[in-house]
Amino acid sequence: MRWLGHALVLAALAVWVAPVGWHVVTSLTPEAELLDLGATWPSRLTLEHYRAVVAASPLPRALLNSAAVAVGTTALATGLGTLGAYALARLPLPGRRAIMLGIVLSTAFPAIATVAPLYLMVRGLGLRDTWWALILADTSFALPLMLWLVAGFMRSLPRELEEAAFVDGAGRLGALRHVVLPAVAPGVAAAALVTFLSAWNEFLFAYTFTATEASRTAPVALALFPGVFEVPWGDIAAAALLTGAPPVLVVLFLQRHLVRGLLAGALKE
Amino acid sequence: MLAACGGARAPDDAVRLVLRHSRMVGDPDPLPPLLRQFERLHPGVRVASEPLPWTADVQHQFYVINLEGRSPGFDVLMLDVIWVPEFARAGWLLDLSERWRAADRATHAPATVEAATLGGRVWAVPWVMNVGLLYYRSDLLAAHGLAPPRTYEELAAQARRVTGAGPGRGLDGFLWQGRQYEGLVVNILESFWAAGTDLLGPGGRVLPDMARARDALAFRRELLAAGVSPAMVLGADEEQTRRAFGRGGAVFLRNWPYARELFEAAGSAVRGRVGIAPLPGGGALGGAHLAVSRASRHPDLAWRLVEFLAAPPAQQAIAAATGLHPTRPALVDPALREIFAGARPRPVTPWYQTLSATLQPELSAAVAGVKSPARALADAERRLEYFLPGPR
Amino acid sequence: MKRGERALAVALVAPALVVLAAVTLFPVLRVLLLSLERRVPVFGIEEFVGLRHYRFLAGDPVFWHAAGVTVTFTVLSVALEVALGVAAALALHRLGRWRAVALGLVLLPWCLPGVVTARIWEWLYQPHVGLLSRVAGGVNWLGDPATALPALVVADVWRTSPFVALLALARLGTIPPALYEAAAVDGAGRSAVFRRVTLPLLAPVLLVAALFRTLDALRAFDLIFVLTGGGPAGATETLTIHAYRSLFGTLQLGFGSAVAVIVFALVTAAAWGYLRAVEGREAAS
Repeated sequence: MRWLGHALVLAALAVWVAPVGWHVVTSLTPEAELLDLGATWPSRLTLEHYRAVVAASPLPRALLNSAAVAVGTTALATGLGTLGAYALARLPLPGRRAIMLGIVLSTAFPAIATVAPLYLMVRGLGLRDTWWALILADTSFALPLMLWLVAGFMRSLPRELEEAAFVDGAGRLGALRHVVLPAVAPGVAAAALVTFLSAWNEFLFAYTFTATEASRTAPVALALFPGVFEVPWGDIAAAALLTGAPPVLVVLFLQRHLVRGLLAGALKE
Repeated sequence: MLAACGGARAPDDAVRLVLRHSRMVGDPDPLPPLLRQFERLHPGVRVASEPLPWTADVQHQFYVINLEGRSPGFDVLMLDVIWVPEFARAGWLLDLSERWRAADRATHAPATVEAATLGGRVWAVPWVMNVGLLYYRSDLLAAHGLAPPRTYEELAAQARRVTGAGPGRGLDGFLWQGRQYEGLVVNILESFWAAGTDLLGPGGRVLPDMARARDALAFRRELLAAGVSPAMVLGADEEQTRRAFGRGGAVFLRNWPYARELFEAAGSAVRGRVGIAPLPGGGALGGAHLAVSRASRHPDLAWRLVEFLAAPPAQQAIAAATGLHPTRPALVDPALREIFAGARPRPVTPWYQTLSATLQPELSAAVAGVKSPARALADAERRLEYFLPGPR
Repeated sequence: MKRGERALAVALVAPALVVLAAVTLFPVLRVLLLSLERRVPVFGIEEFVGLRHYRFLAGDPVFWHAAGVTVTFTVLSVALEVALGVAAALALHRLGRWRAVALGLVLLPWCLPGVVTARIWEWLYQPHVGLLSRVAGGVNWLGDPATALPALVVADVWRTSPFVALLALARLGTIPPALYEAAAVDGAGRSAVFRRVTLPLLAPVLLVAALFRTLDALRAFDLIFVLTGGGPAGATETLTIHAYRSLFGTLQLGFGSAVAVIVFALVTAAAWGYLRAVEGREAAS
C-alpha cells in the first residue's frame, strides 16, 4: 500500500504546484507560440516577457509602491501593536476585557464594510493616490491582528521572567524592554511577517484609493495590466510571477518561524 | 499699454497649460506638432501634454479622483463623450456657452453638440467622433444577389441565407459585442433605436416603451439562440470581433470605423471584400470632447487651446495620422458621411454611469439566456427608477 | 504601584486604540449611517432616507440572486477546502524527511496575492489556448454562465485548502502514535481508524479552519473581481462584488453601503454561529 501513499503525495504536489509551474512556462514562452494550438511546450525559452515587464511596464514602480506600503503598515502595526499588547497582557488596564473583545471582533470586519467611509475620509484628508492612504487602510486589519497575536504570546510567558527583572530593580518599562520583548521576538516576527504578507496582497483598498502609477501597488497594476489590442498573456504571466514572488520568497525562507508562530495562535484556546 | 495690445508677453511670464488626453495611436503622433504650433501663436505659453491611463474605466476613476480634489493640475481635458453631462453637473467644467460662437458650433455634427449640452448650456467642444456602423462581406452578399440590409430582421435573414446550413462551416452570421461592459449597452441601444424606442423617454422616463424594448432585446437573444451569432459574442469586445471578421469568419460585423483601415491593409484576409453600411436605426455616437477645467487658472488661454485643437486644420491633421474622425461633416470622408450623419448620442444625462452600470448585468443576463428579456428589463427598470432622481 | 501601572497601561495602549478607532471603529459606525442616506458624492447629494434602501433590497430580485450566489459559493468552497485540506494533510503526514519541503510547495498558492491566482486560472481557463481547454476542450469555463461559478470555486479551493492542510497537519503531528497502535491491536481497519481516532481529534482544528474560511469566503473580493468581475450575466456576483459595484460603479454610496452592511451582518452572524458551535463542543467534551 506504500505506493498509494506516494501516489497521493505526488497528486497533492501536482495539484498545487502544476498551475504555478505552467504559468512559469508561459512566462518563458515566445510571444508567437503562445496562441499556437499545435505545440504544448515552447520550442525555446525566452526572457522577452520579463524584459518587457521590467523595462516598459508600470510594474517596477508598482512593486516599489507595494514594498513601501507593506513595510509602512508592518512598522506601524508592530510599533503600536507591541506596546499596546503589553498593556493588554500584563497591566491593569481599565476595560481590558471589553477592549480585547472589540479587537478580536474587528479582525472579522470585511473590507467592503469599511471601504466607503475610508474613501470619504481619504478624500477629505486629500490623501488619495498616496502611500499613506493605503498604510492607514491596511492598518485597519493589521493592527487588531498584531495586538491579538502578540498579547497572546506575552500572556503565555512565565511571570517569573518579569519578576526576576523587578527583583533586579527594573520597572515595568524596563522589564518590557529587556525581558519581555526579546522573549516574544520570534512570535512578533511571525506576526509581522503575516502583516507584511496581508498588506502586500491587499487589493480592495489599493484598487479604490489609487489613481495613478504614483501609488498603485503591484496587485492593482497586475489587474489593470495594459494591453492595447491583444491581451499580452506572456507579459501578464511574467508580471504575475514577479508580483507573487516576494510573498512566496518570504514564506519559503521563513517558513518554520511562520508556521510555529501561527500554530501557537491557532491551537491556543 | 503694450500688454493691453493682446498676445505679446515677456518670456519670463511663461504660462503653463496642461492638457490631459488619451494616448493617440498614430504614426506619427499628431499632437506634439499641433501643440508646438499653438505655442508659436501664443508666445510665452507652454503646453504640457500628459497622457491618461489606457482603459476608459480607469480614466474615469482618475478624473473623478483628481477633479474632486479641487486643484486637479490640468487645464484642458479630453473626455469620453458620455462623461460630459456628468462632469458638467458635478461642477468641474467651465461653461463654454458664451465663448463658443454659434457660427462655429453649427459646423459640428448636431449629435456631438447635443451630447455636450446640459441644462441649455454647452460644456465641451467635440474633438473626435466615432459612429457605430455595419461591416459586411460584399463578395458574399453579391454572390447571393443581396443588397446591404436595412433592418435587423433583414440582416438576420441574409445571414442565415449566406451561411447556409447554419454555423460550423467556418462562417458565422453576425458578430457584435455581447460581453458585460459598456459595449453591450451600445449594441442593445442600437437595437432599441431600430425598434423605435429608447432607454430614456421624454421627461427622463426609464424605458418608456417596455414592449418594444423587450422585443428588441429578445431579438438579440434569439440571434444567439438560433446560432446566427456564435457563442463567442457573449464574451467578445470590439477587438475580438474585429479579428474574427478580419480572418474571414463572418458575414456581418457591428463595429466602429477604426476597423475599416485594418480590413483594407495589405495582408488582410478580407481586403477589398468589405463593404460598410449604416446600422438600422442609426449608429451610436462615440468619440471624445475637449473641456476646460473650472479650476484652471488660465481659463481664457485654455479656451484658446480648445478652440485651436478643435479647429478644422487640427482635426484634419489628427484624422490623417490616426483613425480618429473629425466632428465636422464637411471634413468627413465622403464615403462615411451618410453613416456619420445618422449618429445618435447615448442618453445625455449626468446619470449615464449609473444607467450603464445598472443595465450591464441585466442585459448580459438576457442575451446569455439566463433571464428572460422581460424579467431583465423589469429588474433594470425597478433599480433605475430607484436610483435616478425626479427630473433627469 | 497599581495606579501608576494603570496610567502606564493607558499610555501604552492609547496610540493603538486611537488609530483603531479612526480606521476601524469609526468607519463601521459611519457605514451604518451612510446606509441610511441617499448619497452621490460626485454631485454632492446627501439626503437622509432612513431604512428605504433596506426595504428596497428586501424586494429586489438582483439582491436575492447575489445572496444566493454568495451562499452557494461559501458552502461549496468551505466544504471542498476542508475535504481537500484534510486529504492533503493525510498524504503529507506519511512523509518523514521530505515533509517540510512538500509542505512548503503545497503552501505556495496560499501566499500568492488573489490577483496572481486570478491571472493564473484565467490563463488556464482560456478557451482554445488555455491548458485546461487543451486537455478537456470545448467548454468556455469563464464565459458560460453555467460553468463560471464552479470554475471560480475550483480556483478558490486551490488557493485556500493549503491553509486547512497546514492546520490539519500540525494537529496530526500531535496525535500520539500509541492511539493508532491501540486501535490496530483492537483489530480496526484503516477507515475505522480514520473515523474513530483521527477525525474526532482533527475536528476542533477543522472547526477553527472552517470558521476562518467561511468568513473569508463571505468577504472574498480579489479573486472574483479579477477572474470574472461578477459575470458572466451575474453568475458569480456575490454580495461583496455587488456592494462594490453599487458603491463605485453606479456611484450610489448610500445604497452600496446598505449592501455592505448586510455583508457585515452576515459575517458577524457566521462568526457568532461558529463560536457558539465551538463552545458547545467544549461544553460537551
